[in-house]
Amino acid sequence: MTDNYNDMPQLRPGLWDTINERYPGVMITKDDFIPLAQLKKPLSEARLTFVSSAGVQPKRTMPFDVVHPVGDYSFRRVFSGSKVNDLEIHQIKYPTNGASRDLNVIFPIERLQELAAEGVIGGLTPNFFSFIGYQMDPPTFESTLAEDIASAVVGDGADAALLCPA
Amino acid sequence: MSLHYLKEAVANNETDKLIRYVRLHLGDGNETAGRNEIDKAWIEALKALLDVPTTDRAFVFKTLSEQDTATLAHLFFHLHFYFVQRSGKWIHDGQL
Repeated sequence: MTDNYNDMPQLRPGLWDTINERYPGVMITKDDFIPLAQLKKPLSEARLTFVSSAGVQPKRTMPFDVVHPVGDYSFRRVFSGSKVNDLEIHQIKYPTNGASRDLNVIFPIERLQELAAEGVIGGLTPNFFSFIGYQMDPPTFESTLAEDIASAVVGDGADAALLCPA
Repeated sequence: MSLHYLKEAVANNETDKLIRYVRLHLGDGNETAGRNEIDKAWIEALKALLDVPTTDRAFVFKTLSEQDTATLAHLFFHLHFYFVQRSGKWIHDGQL
């Protein structure tokens, strides 16, 4: 690999500087405080899951709905033992050119598999969880997608979750 | 723009806010780009019909008469991206 990614131009410079002006109401604040859950066992004994908004999904599954003007409130289970070649990205709101060359830069499934194999972490849940981050209705996002993923994470027996925004 | 913001705009008939939102969505946050994207899709659709090829009008009428408005609206957005992709001038960072 000879490419220097530091030399790559930012595709949309300044985009986020005006996010509140362009999308009034989409940035939310929360008054309630939810403390982080404490890890109840050493990481080397804990079963880890991975939750990502990168729009990664198994090939031949229904693509995320990236054209919908209000967003897609569904998620996909991604088998944690998947090969990178079993997966693809459906997302148009962030640059996927780097991830298309090495999915691990946005969805580090092979790195997590390695850490589990080396015993750094106790193991992986059967599935990881993926969705797209373009959601224009924060209350619906919170009451459906976030709750659905949380239930699925618990159902998979996770002791810890690595959350990764795209 | 949150859904609440958009529904409020509908209730107040503030169409400028609604079309601005559509342009922002189609232009990935850039209103001018979104306007160009809309033009691009229509131009591509027009080009496909200039030779007056045979089209499946029965399918079109069946779809319009049997599908609900929300599904047709969803299809409308899909068709926009279909024609933009077909133009070969893809401005979006990712893929459908």
